[in-house]
Amino acid sequence: MIRIAAVGDVHLDADVLGRFRPALEELPDCADVLLLAGDLTRHGTESEARCVAEEFGGLGVPVVTVLGNHDHQCDQVPQVVKVLEDAGITVLEGTGTVLDCPGGRLGVAGVKGFGGGFAGRCASDFGEPEMKSFVRTSNESAAALGEALRGLDCDLLVALTHYAPVPDTLAGEPLEIYPFLGSYQLGQAIDSAPTALALHGHAHAGSERGVTPGGVRVRNVAHPVIKQAYSVFHLGGDQID
Amino acid sequence: MTEHSAGPPDAYVEAEIQRLLTEDPDVAEQGITVVHRETGLVLTGEVESPQRRAEILRRVAERFPDEAITSDIGVIRTQAPVQVEELP
Ligand SMILES: [Fe+2]
Ligand SMILES: [Fe+2]
Repeated sequence: MIRIAAVGDVHLDADVLGRFRPALEELPDCADVLLLAGDLTRHGTESEARCVAEEFGGLGVPVVTVLGNHDHQCDQVPQVVKVLEDAGITVLEGTGTVLDCPGGRLGVAGVKGFGGGFAGRCASDFGEPEMKSFVRTSNESAAALGEALRGLDCDLLVALTHYAPVPDTLAGEPLEIYPFLGSYQLGQAIDSAPTALALHGHAHAGSERGVTPGGVRVRNVAHPVIKQAYSVFHLGGDQID
Repeated sequence: MTEHSAGPPDAYVEAEIQRLLTEDPDVAEQGITVVHRETGLVLTGEVESPQRRAEILRRVAERFPDEAITSDIGVIRTQAPVQVEELP
């Protein structure tokens, strides 16, 4: 069995420092790894990233993250990534990592993802350059996730994104904003590999559980959705290769 | 949609506040719902700290000084989980 703790959308800044720490001190007793589903900061500044490093660094278990849209706000992504990596946090963007856990090798592939909407009601690569660039961003992001997932050699495969791969976990959000919350292409990428679980954030008013068209379980771990410091999932660890 | 006194339509007030809360660098909150009622503005949602809630209320009051503001904004709990989800 592999034990995964996860949370997204903690939106840290100095005012939140220390709020997660008491629960995080208990984390190594109940999980083998912590996955962060993006929107770690409010605006993506280097100083906010240092708050993330302080709060989520040095936990005693590996911490793996993707960035979210908020982490891009101030155009300091390279600095943010450096601060996180210096604190021992692995930052994924169209990449993957394999962790040796007591229950087996856990593969995590991650990407921020992007909007675009869901099958039959989505934006298309057509028309104005702004529209085409929007949709191409979604396509490229999903393609990178698919490639990263298919490239991992592990016992249990998990997909980590900020944007949602299915509409199920958006229930509670206004329908009108679904195209800004995720894309079906992410779901398609997740279904292109033997993924056991897909974790995402971003949809603060969404709901916890969903499933991709290919049958992969999806969980929205945005902090406002789970209403606790992190959720813990126990996965079987069946061989996938 | 109704209009109160000579003010702008509710929808524009709600849209302005929603964008103010997202785009103002001191707030940057996307999860606050704003409803403009005859009794004033009602703000709901959840944030990560009491300071953020106070700042949201301060900003909205500053922009709409004549509106009564009702706040039901909560601070999201950060306790450790008491249960795990088994995914066989
Ligand atoms: Fe968020
Ligand atoms: Fe987000």
